[in-house]
Amino acid sequence: MSHIHIPDGVLPWWLWVTGWVATALLLGMASRMATRTGTRRAVPLVGAISALVLVAMSIEIVPIAYHVNLTVIAGALLGPWLGAISAFIVVLVLALVGHGGITVVGLNTLMIATEMALGWALVHGGLRLLGSRRVRPVAAASTIVTLAITTTMLVGIVALAGSGATARHTGALDVETLEFRNPFSGDLINVGLLGGDNHGHDGEHATEAGHVDEHETEAEHDDEHEEGGALSVSRFAAVVYTLGPIGWVLEALVTAGVLGYVVRVRPSLLLRSVNAPPSASARVGDEHGGR
Amino acid sequence: MDITAVDRSAISGDTLLHRAAPSSKLVATALLLAAVVNVNDPLVAAGLTLSLTGAAAAVRLPVRQMLVLALYPAVFALVFAFAAAANVPLGALVVLKAVTAALAVVTLMFSTPYPQVFAPIQRVTPRVVGDALLMTYRSLFILADKFSDLSRAIRLRAGLSRRQPVRAAAATVRAMGGLLLYSLDLSQREYDILHLRGYEGGFRVVRQRSADRSADTAALIYSAILLGVVAAFRWIPGLAGYAWLVTLAGAVDLATGALIGRRRR
Repeated sequence: MSHIHIPDGVLPWWLWVTGWVATALLLGMASRMATRTGTRRAVPLVGAISALVLVAMSIEIVPIAYHVNLTVIAGALLGPWLGAISAFIVVLVLALVGHGGITVVGLNTLMIATEMALGWALVHGGLRLLGSRRVRPVAAASTIVTLAITTTMLVGIVALAGSGATARHTGALDVETLEFRNPFSGDLINVGLLGGDNHGHDGEHATEAGHVDEHETEAEHDDEHEEGGALSVSRFAAVVYTLGPIGWVLEALVTAGVLGYVVRVRPSLLLRSVNAPPSASARVGDEHGGR
Repeated sequence: MDITAVDRSAISGDTLLHRAAPSSKLVATALLLAAVVNVNDPLVAAGLTLSLTGAAAAVRLPVRQMLVLALYPAVFALVFAFAAAANVPLGALVVLKAVTAALAVVTLMFSTPYPQVFAPIQRVTPRVVGDALLMTYRSLFILADKFSDLSRAIRLRAGLSRRQPVRAAAATVRAMGGLLLYSLDLSQREYDILHLRGYEGGFRVVRQRSADRSADTAALIYSAILLGVVAAFRWIPGLAGYAWLVTLAGAVDLATGALIGRRRR
């Protein structure tokens, strides 16, 4: 629920262009940081973890529009900089199979990168604080906090888009009466879409105000289309905060289960990087060290 | 979401679109996405969806598989439309935009191998990002196969059953844990290979050229026409009452495309 499943052409252009610009800057910084510790090490690791996230995302629970993400795990293993690169790759590949819009790739990348960075900080911080035995509760709590924050970011993005910015005409369709207007028929022919009254809105205006007010009614119609076409941010927030927690809990259970399994089977994988000093350049999976 | 099916079609398919140059198909897809971004009438959007499906059927792309992928975002778009759209037509527009955009992109991906789509992206992104993108592509199929094997193994041991959802979920989570460990081992192996071959950054993709110029021209003209229609209905208010004609034309395209596709078989 956290990353944006908003189709192309719904958010205003300035918002998604800003998303792309911010992502370009983030990728520039992230690749510089990745190159410092070795491209040869970073490329296969990011490739494998991104592929893992993509495979996980193919596991769906359609009725609640939920799929597994594994972004917190990916963040915990990759760290914030490689996480940002991985986020871009995952979002781009998903967009190329039709899962999410191409124009919102930038905004989606920022969301997933934030998820990975927060996941990394919370999981590692929690394990340092509470110890490796508490890996499951730490993972679960980190996931819920992370997803709650990024879901709020999502609502913020829709709010940023604003009702005025996203308002759009719906062509010949009157959104109030669900009737199609025929501009060349002098409002004589109206076709009701969902049980609309054939002598509805336009007809009433014509008989009450006559032809003198024709232009005024046209203008009123346009205003109604603008208002009717707006996105409802409060309703969006209500739905997202109702459905979201189900997804957060499921994701928390999966993250806790997977990280618990990893710590049980190969504890050095996660705990070594937790206990390592911040300056250590060895990465997860770096069995031989070095470049 | 079966990404491997997309790759199979892109690599082994032999349609008119497969013969076009990837660069032309990328431009055509960009034009179609511009049309989706600018469409503001649900009837015009419906016309685009129908026409695009008809075009895919006419060139004999695997339409059923494509529609499964293209309709997938409709589920999420429906949730978004229900949550945010103020009325039914706007909700329909949101869902149709999602499906049409997905259909445009899926058409590109079903007729173009991933590395050819990634190549132009690789040129404009930092080297690490471009290389990791290609490495993800390679790892994706290995991991998808591995996960499928793991799931099958668990099912054969009666660990995955609809009657025992909790047990099945626990087994799936363990399989994902196993997959995570496998993916880290895979990255280690790939690192060793890169180290052995003296990789210093910068995978190169050999650009695929057009095998049939008419295919390039057809793809570009078709996309430009759709964008032109959308632009006309957006910026010429007098056309607003005739949006249903676009839906009708789309339906005719679909029927004709299905007939042409069936005849060629």
